[in-house]
Amino acid sequence: MSKNSVKGVTIQGVSCAVPRKQLDNQSFLDRFDEKTIADVAKLTGVLTRHIAEPGQTAGDLCFAAAERLLADLQWAPDSVDALIFVSQTPDQRMPATACILHGRLGLSTECQAFDVGLGCSGYVYGTWLAAALISAGLRRVLLLAGDTSSQMLDPDDRGTAMLFGDAGSATAFEYNEHAPLTYFELGTDGTGAQLLTVPAGGYRLCGPASARDNTLHMDGSAVFGFTISTVPPLIKSILQQANLTISDVDTFALHQANKFILQHIEKKLKIPAGALPINIEQFGNTSSASVPLLLCTNTAERITGSPTTLLMAGFGVGLSWGAAVFSDVRLQSTSVFEV
Amino acid sequence: MQEFYEGLAEILEVAPETIKPELTLEEEQWDSMAIISCVALIDEVYGQLISGSSLTGCKTVADIQNLISKSM
Repeated sequence: MSKNSVKGVTIQGVSCAVPRKQLDNQSFLDRFDEKTIADVAKLTGVLTRHIAEPGQTAGDLCFAAAERLLADLQWAPDSVDALIFVSQTPDQRMPATACILHGRLGLSTECQAFDVGLGCSGYVYGTWLAAALISAGLRRVLLLAGDTSSQMLDPDDRGTAMLFGDAGSATAFEYNEHAPLTYFELGTDGTGAQLLTVPAGGYRLCGPASARDNTLHMDGSAVFGFTISTVPPLIKSILQQANLTISDVDTFALHQANKFILQHIEKKLKIPAGALPINIEQFGNTSSASVPLLLCTNTAERITGSPTTLLMAGFGVGLSWGAAVFSDVRLQSTSVFEV
Repeated sequence: MQEFYEGLAEILEVAPETIKPELTLEEEQWDSMAIISCVALIDEVYGQLISGSSLTGCKTVADIQNLISKSM
């Protein structure tokens, strides 16, 4: 596992945009009976989720979030040195959605822009990249992470049809010479690549693909096993690296994979009540946007008040995982809104 | 063992006294969600990680218990 620490990085603000359209669990009664819906909801925790309209992309959601964040922070578009777009559901096969967003946001031609194809772990990877770019000399980095997973679901697969929601996020990172060290741990197990997959859409399957190949397939119990065997040791290890204990962390912002998994991790690590917030009830699993969405909802007050210690962790598709620890976190702004 | 039996009863939505080694799982609600819950239960009670795929192969409660004792 790669372990790193980076100096001088601060998070200045986070903004999230969710589609206006909402689907509650009752909306699935045409496909599943009440008992199935209740059983799935008991495990996943999801009660309602925001769903993109056809043609509304992760890029659109991230664009709205970024526009709002730049305005809130009063960052001039030409002051952004890099734009990173993280998603498993990009707008087009080419060009990179980051380039499309760079144009839409009116950023400078001196700003670098690139995509990262990760989902559940993507926000932590994006954060790591933003920090690494800042340590390499950039001053302001915009991380846009979002997914419209609803667009690739098989409506008859009870394991995934009711689990996911859509959201886009924007996070502003800035160099500050006084910022304390930020710690990272990242890992991958590519032997599990087929446990969460959409087979079509790339160049392995050329030409028109079947509906089955165009939808998401998840081996739920294997992904669950991966999560409970990987995430608790990951959290313990990064805390050790940062020389902290569980009780030193004010907020554990974990990828909202599934409520049952989150409660299992909370119990296993003996995390104090209230320190591991859950919002999957309202938004579903929003893939790369789940951690920033959590920062803008349940923990918004905590991270914009007095300086606080934040641990974030993402895990899933890849299989890929990562964690980061920020201390002295004090954001200037957070916002969440519908588009 | 009692904690495991109680947890399993909750997962299968049956009365705790129903859970016996000879109980046949396929007569109960032993589906993918029950298996995920059982992976978590075994981790919680015994601190052991049993894969969902090996639990899928279990026919009775005794089979699950065998898997757990083999892993310890």
